[in-house]
Amino acid sequence: MKELLTPRKLVIRVASAGLALVAVMLVCSLIGAESVSLKAAFYGAGAPGAVNPDYEIFVKVRLPRVILATIVGAALACSGVVFQALLRNPLADPYILGISSGAGLGTIIAVLSGFSWTLWGRSPIAVFAFVGALGTVWLVWFIGRLAGKLHVTGLLLAGVVVNAFFSAVIMFLISVAKSEKVHATIFWLMGNMIEEDFFALWIGGGCVLGGILALFNISPQLNALSFGEDDAKSIGVNTARTQTIAFAIAAFITAVAVSLSGLIGFVGLIVPHGVRLVFGPDHRQLFPLSSIMGAIFLVVADTLARTIVAPAQLPVGVVTAIVGGPFFLALLVKYSRKVSWLA
Amino acid sequence: MSGIIEVEHLSFGYTFQSTILKDISFEVKAGTFLAIVGPNGAGKTTLLNLLCGLLRPEAGSIRIDAARIKSYSVKELAQIIAVVRQEFVPVFDFTVTEVVSMARTPYLGTFGFESKTDREIVDEALKATDTAQFAPRSLGTLSGGERQRVFIARALAQNTPILLLDEPTSFLDLKHQVGIYDLLKAAQLEKGKTIVAVTHDINLAAQYCDVTLLLGGTELSHAAPQSQNATQARSNYRVGKTKDVFSPEQIEQVFGVRVFAGNVGQEKFFIPLGKFAKDIRQIDNKPAGCQPK
Amino acid sequence: MNKWLALSLIILCWMAAGFAIFGFQQDQNRNDTPLPTQADRIISMAPNLTEILFALGLDDEIVGVTLGSDYPSATGKKTKVGTFWQPNIEAVIAAKPDLVITLGFDQQRNLAARLKRIGYNSLILDIEKVSELFEATKIIGAATGKQREANELVSDITTKLNKLSALVSTNGRVKVLWVVQREPLRVAGRDTFVNEMIELAGGENAIEPTMHKYPPIGAEQVIACKPDVIIEPAMDQKDPVGQQANALQYWSKFENVPAVMNKRIYVIAGDTVSRLGPRLYEGTETIAQCLRPELFAD
Repeated sequence: MKELLTPRKLVIRVASAGLALVAVMLVCSLIGAESVSLKAAFYGAGAPGAVNPDYEIFVKVRLPRVILATIVGAALACSGVVFQALLRNPLADPYILGISSGAGLGTIIAVLSGFSWTLWGRSPIAVFAFVGALGTVWLVWFIGRLAGKLHVTGLLLAGVVVNAFFSAVIMFLISVAKSEKVHATIFWLMGNMIEEDFFALWIGGGCVLGGILALFNISPQLNALSFGEDDAKSIGVNTARTQTIAFAIAAFITAVAVSLSGLIGFVGLIVPHGVRLVFGPDHRQLFPLSSIMGAIFLVVADTLARTIVAPAQLPVGVVTAIVGGPFFLALLVKYSRKVSWLA
Repeated sequence: MSGIIEVEHLSFGYTFQSTILKDISFEVKAGTFLAIVGPNGAGKTTLLNLLCGLLRPEAGSIRIDAARIKSYSVKELAQIIAVVRQEFVPVFDFTVTEVVSMARTPYLGTFGFESKTDREIVDEALKATDTAQFAPRSLGTLSGGERQRVFIARALAQNTPILLLDEPTSFLDLKHQVGIYDLLKAAQLEKGKTIVAVTHDINLAAQYCDVTLLLGGTELSHAAPQSQNATQARSNYRVGKTKDVFSPEQIEQVFGVRVFAGNVGQEKFFIPLGKFAKDIRQIDNKPAGCQPK
Repeated sequence: MNKWLALSLIILCWMAAGFAIFGFQQDQNRNDTPLPTQADRIISMAPNLTEILFALGLDDEIVGVTLGSDYPSATGKKTKVGTFWQPNIEAVIAAKPDLVITLGFDQQRNLAARLKRIGYNSLILDIEKVSELFEATKIIGAATGKQREANELVSDITTKLNKLSALVSTNGRVKVLWVVQREPLRVAGRDTFVNEMIELAGGENAIEPTMHKYPPIGAEQVIACKPDVIIEPAMDQKDPVGQQANALQYWSKFENVPAVMNKRIYVIAGDTVSRLGPRLYEGTETIAQCLRPELFAD
């Protein structure tokens, strides 16, 4: 915006956005294929044998799902901001450096190997997806560093190569796998919101929250990085340290998001742009506001996904693309003068 | 912090085979306006990048205020040296105020917000560069000249004793060229900043800069006889008071082009003479006579 | 560095609080709860399970079925709880079931796990083979208090199948190619319930044992395996005559295959051969009619 960001302005904006988020969460947890009334839910669980379906659905299905959407939406949006900043590229999204194919590979391996043990109640798919995502992105980072000084280009190329290679491996594995298992994998990868237990939500939420706060800490440095590494160094930014920290955090929270809900696209790409168009590119604002907007976006998208074709459900990734695309185009047209890379 | 730069026996090459700078030594006293002039490829920008710590010398040392550059952390160095390079528009469009405020990054408080002092410094810098009226506008909406002034404002807002500039007036019109040099001269005289500017414009350098480093000039006679041995070869350069370094002979030798040298009052000027220049009789100039360090 | 330390402490406290409040959340319901012996509100998550429940006389107790459950017609009136692939857990809960029955493959196992996590009992049954069908029927019978009906149903089907086997066990099995998908070409392999039905009907699979249950094959395998009969389950339930003609035309390009030369290409309508359920006998009989039409000439 016109004036410089002050703590007061930031707090006001974040607080308002936060309130909006809470309101959206509440409203969306009351919308669904089945009608649920809040009043009825308040009557509690009911005795065994005469359970209160409003309570059951609201507390055990809706709320966890809405909270999950909040966490995943926030994580993906923040991660999108980071990758766009590090790669200085408006087309970057959280999956650009191999996270998607890494998660996919992890998932397929988990399904095919038939592991049935669980880690703290997390299914093996989630664990393998997490490991796959994180491992792959570090592989890309490592290869990119080897490529030398032209850091950004090296990273992008490494990402392309790794994505291509892992996708080929995935297709090979799919072709030799039994068909029902493959079906399950594909569904999972398309993005699914199911009710996680509150422990997983708490821990996952904590990871994402911590990531957002840490990224806020290095926001001024990321602002400077927009001008290139040389320029940023002249302003006193330790570029190697900033890039590594930002990258590590973004990779981690994306891996958490993917392990919780599969691959959901578009959120990490367009939410940062939307926030930038309205509020400006200052990262101190981008991180908190993108997280909240990302959360709102995904909660709404998920609500649509589970109500439009009820009693069936659309994969959430479909809705984010269909809803997100036109919405973003409208925003772009309205603010087109602000966008330098369009000019 | 006074802003003294001492370069001793500096050598640098981008690869093992090529050496751009060989055994260069000079000193820039505090509060001096130094111009670095020379033909393309002589290593001016490389030297600038060495001076601001972006590149590491192969041999020799660079000291800032008597401490080697290596000993400063990135943040500490940013509080001593500010650099202005070619203006450009980054992918994400910040406003002028935001851009200039980024200079305060090494000084920000715990939560990363600018303090009142920071804002005042930013305002001053905007005023000094006559860019205050652009403050709320985004960088992409300005002209090249206006943007270059914004980048200079950012360097000023960094409040450093040393200012390094890489061809700050390359694409600017006359008015802005002069305007920027006036600005830099004012910073030198009023604030005591040490300014090092790489420039192609020898006339402006002659007008504004007290000291010049001419990269690619001939060696004058030294106390030690010039050795024929290749390993002891050094870069051709001359450094000294501008009026001494800029002689027609030197300029012709370094740039490979005939010049017409003249005086207007106390100011010297040089006009290059190409093949189609009309015949002009040259006025004899005093031979240059300053020892390199 | 201070703010990083502070941040780490905050996160650590958050995580510790999480562990304190929620514990490790190992599946507390990991211990197998005993199977019920009586159920008043049953939800079936697969069409063949629905058929079994109806066959056991549990039509009143069924409170939810999936969208694909279309037999018998009484299912039309039942609440739908999503599809076979995408179950709607809210609809399941809203129907207040005391027993949810699912199949055993991953997608449905996930649903059962989710339901278990929120406290609903599910019965997970693998029905991939005929023997498993019988076993599942008996388990359902035991869980719903219909053991007698279950045993009767199983022995009824078994008897009919035995009679059929005796009828068709002349020498020489008919080689059958069972095509489930045309492009890319996929057939039913030997490790499927379809294969069992084929064998019960006096045939044998033209395809050798394969790694996949429904392997994709190429045109050369079609020619090499020399099937006497090609059977395709119908794409949809309309216009069986048209589909038959279409199939004949499609396969005519394999002119040297015995099935094509003798025009023994059959499109079987209905779900009796696509689902492993109580209409197993009807399906097997239909197949036998294709393989040995002369035996059923009356």
